[in-house]
Amino acid sequence: MRPPQLFAPALLLLAASFAHAAWDFDDGSISVVAKQSGDSIKEKQVALLNPKAPLSKPVSLGSTSTLKLSLTAKDNGKGKRPHQAFLVLQEQESGLKAPFPLTVKENGKAAAQISQKDIPIQLLNAAKPLKASIVLASFGSSEGFNAPVFNVKIEADPAVPLSAYERPLRYGKKPEIHHIFRPDPKSPPKVVSLFFALAVVATLPALFIGWIFLGANLNHLSKAIGAAPLSHATFFGSIVAMEFVFFMYYTSWNLFQTLPVIGAVAVITLLSGTKALGEVQRRRLAGER
Amino acid sequence: MRSLFSLCLFLLAAVVSAVSTSGNRLLVILDDVADKANYSKFLADLEGRGFQLSFETPKSESLTLFHLGERTYDHVIFFPIKTKGLGPNLTPNILVDFLNAKGNILLAISSGIATPNSLVSLLAELDIQLPADRTGLVVDHFNYDASSAPEKHDVLLLPPPGRLRPDIKDFFGAGAGSNEVLAFSRGVGAVLGTGELLTPILRAPRTAYSYNPKEQAEVVDDLFAAGEQLALVTAFQARNSARLTLLGSAEMLQDTWFDAEVTKPSATGGRKAKTFNREFAKRVSGWTFNEIGVLRVNWIEHRLDEPGNSASNETNPKIYRIKNNVKYTISLSEYAWTNWEPFTLPSDDDALQLEFSMLSPFHRLELTPETARSTPESTAYTVHFRLPDQHGIFNFKVNYKRPFLSNVEEKNTVSVRHMAHDEWPRSFAISGAWPWIAGIGVTVAGWLAFCAVWMYSAPPLTDKGETKKTQ
Amino acid sequence: MSADPLHALASAGKAKSTRSVLRVVILALIAGAAIASRLFSVIRFESIIHEFDPWFNFRATKYLVAHGFYKFWDWFDDRTWHPLGRVTGGTLYPGLMVTSGVIYHALRALTIPVDIRNICVLLAPGFSGLTAIAAYLLTNEMTTSNSAGLLAAAFMGIAPGYISRSVAGSYDNEAIAIFLLVFTFYLWIKALKQGSMLWGALCALFYGYMVASWGGYAFITCLLPLHAFVLICMGRYSTRLYVSYTTWYALGTLASMQIPFVGFLPVKTSEHMPALGIFGFLQLLAFLDYVRSAIPSRQFQTFLWVFAGGSFGLGLAALAIATSAGFIAPWSGRFYSLWDTGYAKIHIPIIASVSEHQPTAWPAFFFDLNMLIWLFPVGVYLCFQELADQHVFIVVYALFGSYFAGVMVRLMLTLTPVVCVAAAIAVSTLLDIYLTAKSPKPVEGQPADGGDGAAKKAVKSGLKSTSKPLIGVYGLYSKVAIVGALTVYLLLFVLHCTWVTSNAYSSPSVVLASRLPDGSQHIIDDYREAYQWLRQNTREDAKIMSWWDYGYQIGGMADRPTLVDNNTWNNTHIATVGKAMSSREEVSYPIMRQHEVDYVLVVFGGLLGYSGDDINKFLWMVRIAEGIWPDEVSERAFFTPRGEYRVDGDATETMKNSLMYKMSYYNYNKLFPPGQAMDRMRGVRLPEVGPSLSTIEEAFTSENWIIRIYKVKDLDNLGRDHASAAAFDRGHKKKKATKKRGPRLLRVD
Repeated sequence: MRPPQLFAPALLLLAASFAHAAWDFDDGSISVVAKQSGDSIKEKQVALLNPKAPLSKPVSLGSTSTLKLSLTAKDNGKGKRPHQAFLVLQEQESGLKAPFPLTVKENGKAAAQISQKDIPIQLLNAAKPLKASIVLASFGSSEGFNAPVFNVKIEADPAVPLSAYERPLRYGKKPEIHHIFRPDPKSPPKVVSLFFALAVVATLPALFIGWIFLGANLNHLSKAIGAAPLSHATFFGSIVAMEFVFFMYYTSWNLFQTLPVIGAVAVITLLSGTKALGEVQRRRLAGER
Repeated sequence: MRSLFSLCLFLLAAVVSAVSTSGNRLLVILDDVADKANYSKFLADLEGRGFQLSFETPKSESLTLFHLGERTYDHVIFFPIKTKGLGPNLTPNILVDFLNAKGNILLAISSGIATPNSLVSLLAELDIQLPADRTGLVVDHFNYDASSAPEKHDVLLLPPPGRLRPDIKDFFGAGAGSNEVLAFSRGVGAVLGTGELLTPILRAPRTAYSYNPKEQAEVVDDLFAAGEQLALVTAFQARNSARLTLLGSAEMLQDTWFDAEVTKPSATGGRKAKTFNREFAKRVSGWTFNEIGVLRVNWIEHRLDEPGNSASNETNPKIYRIKNNVKYTISLSEYAWTNWEPFTLPSDDDALQLEFSMLSPFHRLELTPETARSTPESTAYTVHFRLPDQHGIFNFKVNYKRPFLSNVEEKNTVSVRHMAHDEWPRSFAISGAWPWIAGIGVTVAGWLAFCAVWMYSAPPLTDKGETKKTQ
Repeated sequence: MSADPLHALASAGKAKSTRSVLRVVILALIAGAAIASRLFSVIRFESIIHEFDPWFNFRATKYLVAHGFYKFWDWFDDRTWHPLGRVTGGTLYPGLMVTSGVIYHALRALTIPVDIRNICVLLAPGFSGLTAIAAYLLTNEMTTSNSAGLLAAAFMGIAPGYISRSVAGSYDNEAIAIFLLVFTFYLWIKALKQGSMLWGALCALFYGYMVASWGGYAFITCLLPLHAFVLICMGRYSTRLYVSYTTWYALGTLASMQIPFVGFLPVKTSEHMPALGIFGFLQLLAFLDYVRSAIPSRQFQTFLWVFAGGSFGLGLAALAIATSAGFIAPWSGRFYSLWDTGYAKIHIPIIASVSEHQPTAWPAFFFDLNMLIWLFPVGVYLCFQELADQHVFIVVYALFGSYFAGVMVRLMLTLTPVVCVAAAIAVSTLLDIYLTAKSPKPVEGQPADGGDGAAKKAVKSGLKSTSKPLIGVYGLYSKVAIVGALTVYLLLFVLHCTWVTSNAYSSPSVVLASRLPDGSQHIIDDYREAYQWLRQNTREDAKIMSWWDYGYQIGGMADRPTLVDNNTWNNTHIATVGKAMSSREEVSYPIMRQHEVDYVLVVFGGLLGYSGDDINKFLWMVRIAEGIWPDEVSERAFFTPRGEYRVDGDATETMKNSLMYKMSYYNYNKLFPPGQAMDRMRGVRLPEVGPSLSTIEEAFTSENWIIRIYKVKDLDNLGRDHASAAAFDRGHKKKKATKKRGPRLLRVD
């Protein structure tokens, strides 16, 4: 936004415009000529301009219409041609301005024609009506004239899409972005897990009981140990050891620690297993199993 | 590498006692070397700030901006030149090369003297448009110096510029007294393109306009530009932070307008005022020649910020894992005329932001000052955040580009890897896995029991068992 | 008997040990021949990795050797698929690399320092020797004839269909996978025959190795259940089948799930469902078998139908529901393309764009298999004659192998082993019949007539079908004629194989060879020249954009990150590159900036007449890009109104403005006198004015212009667009900003 002191000259000018030689205008009028599908229908909107107070109602400018402005510029009451005779359209929110020079004759008669295609794109996209002011000033000591005189409302043609205004890139802060993480995988409630874990564990006693019911026992343990003490002990031990190796792999060992141990245990299992199972087979052949 | 570079810069600065951060060899190009008397105060100011001035005219044979591919000057000032061309040593291409080689240019033009074609072409490349036929004069019938230009209104009195936007630092008008104005005498206004590299330092007042004094003395039929669209002093900063300033009125720099007294027009009170030109000229030249508004990245650091993980506390590692917590710190200094100062954000509306991006930013976070690591010369800005759950090659990117500040574009590439096979939570820590683990345990126990029973079970006494076994 | 002099010779070989020694020697020689015949490229060029995929395998092997197994397992490769990176350890089949790594470390442990590159180059020939031995073992399971196995080994060793993927330097997964395939089949037959858990477990072990090595393991995964299913349908369910299949399936599936890339696929995807289904079905059968022994047979009949039908229906319904609910992935596109050869072209252009995924042309069968192709049906027929379990396997394998080989050129590889086995059975049967020196003994008073080829039939007992009719050819002339002809065929086969290997399959394709007019060999080494340039002249992290064919080579030889490579897992990323290549510069540039591309590499064959260049592949880039951005890229726009694909002056504007076209022909016309520029590949004259580039600049062009490398320019320092910056550099002054077309724009700050 502009610092406020820039408004000061305009205000001061208004206040002082009656004291000194100053620019002014009269016979100001605007009209809007609407062209619709050829030249057949012409619609006119006319309003007279008052240099001291702006029009209360905004003038609307359609996409095919032309706004015509005419006035007579006067320096100290006499018709004269000023060097600067602009109609300035201003967008109210951003304060962007677009000047349109008037064609002025020697006697101060000035006119301008504006249609939508002359208006810069930012102003066309304005939400509020544009503020139109007239600037009349020239060299020398006469004070210039600069005052708002009317408002223009741009009527967008619904048939023609408005050429979109893309704000040019300006260096500045950008909106923050926070990455949205995928939700973590969820486990069922611990109670449920625990229940099923216990249910699984419960199958073990069930299995044992079933076996016992079917007559499983360890009665030949002493016999087997007696027949082949070393191989039975090593064989069963190596089976347990294998499970232990798997347990260690699960908890801490890596593959290269595990594989040699598995190899060693497997060899022991194989060697002791042949003897131990041979003993079992002898018992079976003897009808003891 | 970066620290070494900045150290070199620092040493260089110390040795040659230059005040600019990018060297003190300043070339002044004048139409006639004798003209420099008009600018004696301005030039003396420059010399006083440590610049080594060389004076040349465009006609000079020895004038060359490059020697064996290296710049021979760090900065160039162009005062208005009457000739239409600037000769083979100052073609637009050479000037563009000069900017590309990080040279800075201060271009002062004047309404009375047509701007050389070479400079017009250069400005056209920067998307700065001068009035047609190289002539234009800015007048304002509402804000003129009533004492020196009561008729012609071509000496504009302007308040010193304020902040262009609320988030931009005010380098040029700050600290001006309320009764100090800028006198913009017989100057040219330019129209700027919409590019982001251009920034107007001084815009014309709303009622000012530019006209061609030769053809449009009576009536302005074809308006070049008016109001704030007319830039009187324009800053251009290239992507490599080379700077070019277009000063619409060379007379602004002349002794006559330094500390002169002017009168506001009667409509605005007719009060006397002092010109701000000398200070403004100092600031504009200081900005152009890298004495202010220069940012320096002292160091950048990013590291793992996991609680209780001091073992892997490596600085700037090349690779992170997804969902790691990291800390990023960047240390910035800003140069202010003679020394490096800690960089502070121009206003609360601005922010120093870190982007963590792959193809597009995943995070864009504000960095906050960390006092513990700031020094009297620098501010450390830091942010803690968690890396996204996406592996890839990411960049820590600080892209701090603001009008009037030199560009900071720092990109540190890191890889973000996936979870290694042994970094997941162990299965016993996941409650959903308990039934399965129990299943494994039961299978193992059952297997061992089965082995025992199979090997050591005596035949049961019942017949039923007997038949089952033999089957 | 003893009077026959041939028998005197044969009796020397009668001794069992002598025969074994002979067999081992012959096998060793066959293995040696297999290895030796694959060394053409090493001798002719040098010890170099070939083609495309092997370069990645080589790079991965080097990583494995340098960083160890666990690092390799967790390898995140940030130099491919920039900026996505690739979880390489989890997306490759590590079998090949681990094999090389083990060999490397074993040799070092034996203090034999061998360069890892040489191990990689020679791995495929080495394993082809093992394949020959595996083929021998497999064939021996099929027939009692001793010669069949040796013949199969010899065929396997030199069949071009296998050599095509296993010459020295062809360091690809297939190099070890074919050995594993054949050996797994051998173990399966062994397990099935004996009903042995041990062999079943071994089979599962090698199946696991196979899974670790090649995506083609699915072939085994589907073939073994199919074999089992056919056996069941033939009413040959047995406990042998039950034991071997369940052992293999349980252990094999567990083993395959250890490979990170496979993971849970065996229980999730349709390709693996047959194996699971048969596993379940076998359980049912075993249960029914048990029930049958327990209840009377009439009740059993009804029980059987209700139970079997019900469970089969239930299983199918469960499968359908699970598939539609997404628990089981439906058949993948690659799989559909096996059934409908046109499928890929429409739905997945990226698969269709690979030449080895095209349907096989008929001559290829003869080219790759020569006389085996007509011996193959004979062998299958002979298997039908006996039709034991193992013969059923050969028949099933033959049917499926032939089908797949017909659909995809690449699958010729899986057909080759069964062709060798079947052909060996055929040849050995022929030889056995015609090479026996002895005449059959008179049976039951029926004298064997030594006449000229008259078939003598044994008296039909009419009771047993087991007694075979006595048929034979006993005339010396016919024997000599047939054996002689067969010998000539075999010799011709060897000649053919050698010729094919030497001429078709021994080119590294990284290095091109051509003949000069005087007959001497001229090496065209543009690829390596360009990759070396990249290696020496660009930053280490300079990203190279090229079509995906060259991704692995750039990664392997130039050691630079690439955007896409031959591991075509991300179609969108490939399509992005395709879009950048096929769009105008203004469209491509933001894409390249976003992906941080530093250099763009194109292959251009116009000067040399090299057909494998990017302009010829260009339509695939367009098609793949169109698949993702149908609004922005259109294949139609690259064809002239008359439907021609042209690159000369009549090319469409879209074609001429595409980045690929511009990069290919940039400055090309300067090589020729004005107006004479010729594209020798496409045989057309090019327009006099060549294309101009503004967002990229030429960085390197190789000697024969095969490789052209362009550097992507940075954003213009002064904020101009590249076209006007380039125009300014050429000395064009900016036009005075003419009155703005369109609505005016005010500057906002």
